[in-house]
Amino acid sequence: MDTPGSTNEDKIYQLLKGVIDPELMVNIIDLGLVYEILCDEEKKLITVSMTLTSPGCPMGDVIQEDALQLVKKNYDHYEVKINLVWEPAWSPDFMSEEAKKQLG
Amino acid sequence: MQEAASHNAPDHRIIVPHFVIGGLVILLTTVLLFLHPDALTGHFFNGKLLSLTHLAALGWVTMVIFGALCQLIPVILETPLYSEKFALISLLLLTTGAVLLSLSFWQFNFGILLVTGGLCTLLSTAFLVANLVGTSLKSPKKTLEKKFIITASLWLLFTCFAGLTLAINFTTPFLSQSHLDLLKIHAHAGLVGWFVQLIIGVGSKLLPMFMISHELKTTPLKIAYPAINMGLILALVSEFFAFKMGILTGVIITAAGILSFIFYLIQAYKKRVRKKLDAGMKQSALAFFALLIPVSLILLIFFGENLHTGFVTAYGFLVITGFISSLIMGQTFKTLPFIIWLKEYRGKMGKTKIPLPKDLYSEKSVNLQTWLFTTGFMVVAAAVILQNLTVIQFGTGLMIVALLIYNVNVFKIVFHKNKS
Repeated sequence: MDTPGSTNEDKIYQLLKGVIDPELMVNIIDLGLVYEILCDEEKKLITVSMTLTSPGCPMGDVIQEDALQLVKKNYDHYEVKINLVWEPAWSPDFMSEEAKKQLG
Repeated sequence: MQEAASHNAPDHRIIVPHFVIGGLVILLTTVLLFLHPDALTGHFFNGKLLSLTHLAALGWVTMVIFGALCQLIPVILETPLYSEKFALISLLLLTTGAVLLSLSFWQFNFGILLVTGGLCTLLSTAFLVANLVGTSLKSPKKTLEKKFIITASLWLLFTCFAGLTLAINFTTPFLSQSHLDLLKIHAHAGLVGWFVQLIIGVGSKLLPMFMISHELKTTPLKIAYPAINMGLILALVSEFFAFKMGILTGVIITAAGILSFIFYLIQAYKKRVRKKLDAGMKQSALAFFALLIPVSLILLIFFGENLHTGFVTAYGFLVITGFISSLIMGQTFKTLPFIIWLKEYRGKMGKTKIPLPKDLYSEKSVNLQTWLFTTGFMVVAAAVILQNLTVIQFGTGLMIVALLIYNVNVFKIVFHKNKS
């Protein structure tokens, strides 16, 4: 997992804590679903690489839509792309301690 | 952005009526059982019991499963449903079939009403199977779940065909076998081939997903598929030819297949990341424990001597109510709130205060419903074996309260509106 580097990436990282998986009731950052956030200042392009807990997750596209809308709303002069990736496959080890606690 | 699961979901107006009709039908069935507890104490081949069984099996179990399948198949196979029109036609035919069959059995009138009901049900199933096969042909995925679901739907088609044959045989007898033997074939093809196998197909995908269980060994599922199907075919063919040893072998192989699936679930449960089970999952977990009772009971029936038919009735009652109905009730709260939540809140991120899908119903009352229903069906099953009408009424009374809570929550979810 890439640690957010630039200020914008850091802000987006914090922003994405507002996107909740409606089934698990935990935010996608604590779940470890967001792998990388890239902010290209020249192209005015934000790319969020993320995964889901499993392929075919019924809430998968809702989570992606929410992430896209939230970033777009706060960065309206940027183009925002959500890149869904399956490598590396999500593992419970990617979750934060906070998420583990919330899931019992 | 990659196309994902809920984009493939069909129109909620086709799915939701399945849940509403189903909930009301099981409530009606249980109220009728409360008013006529003798349906459970006589021989299992009696008009009232046949009527209530068909009402529950078609109007409740099959109804909700048809709706849930049309919602979940696109999720599991990651492709849109083949035809929403087929789903609607199937719903209308199934409702008509359930009403006609139940009415004719209640009146113990095996005429045109029975044959028409059987025909409607068979046609409804044919549309469902066509929809499932059409959807699965569009999906390049070759999974074990897909095999279970398609095979289960073919068993349903066979069940309905066998039922229609029985109905015709009632009016114009042409088969030499006794109705009781044919009824057993019809019932087990439906209970095991359709219900249990379908639950395995859908459950093996969704239950680990809900519990977040990773790195599961699929060997138990690979054993379950051939065991259930080969065992069931052996048992049913042996039943047709009255070959007792073949029936026993078939039952044991089938039971081994079911236990293998339960072993898979135990593995998923142990490896779950989500330790706290929500109300829907608690009732689902209880359903699987409850399945162990009828599986033990059928072996007792087979080996026991001079057991009265109450044991057979209790066995059938426990499969339909204890296992299948409990599971459906639990899984309703894993399906319906999400359907309505998606309709009301999809794309509203940041524009309105968004509740969670679980906020659409009362979790506390679902927990209460689970315990009332579980206590209720255990009391009824025991009372059926003891042949005690008053205790049957007490048990069905508890189940009615549980089903009232279930229906209130279903309506609460269905009529939920985004207030902003």
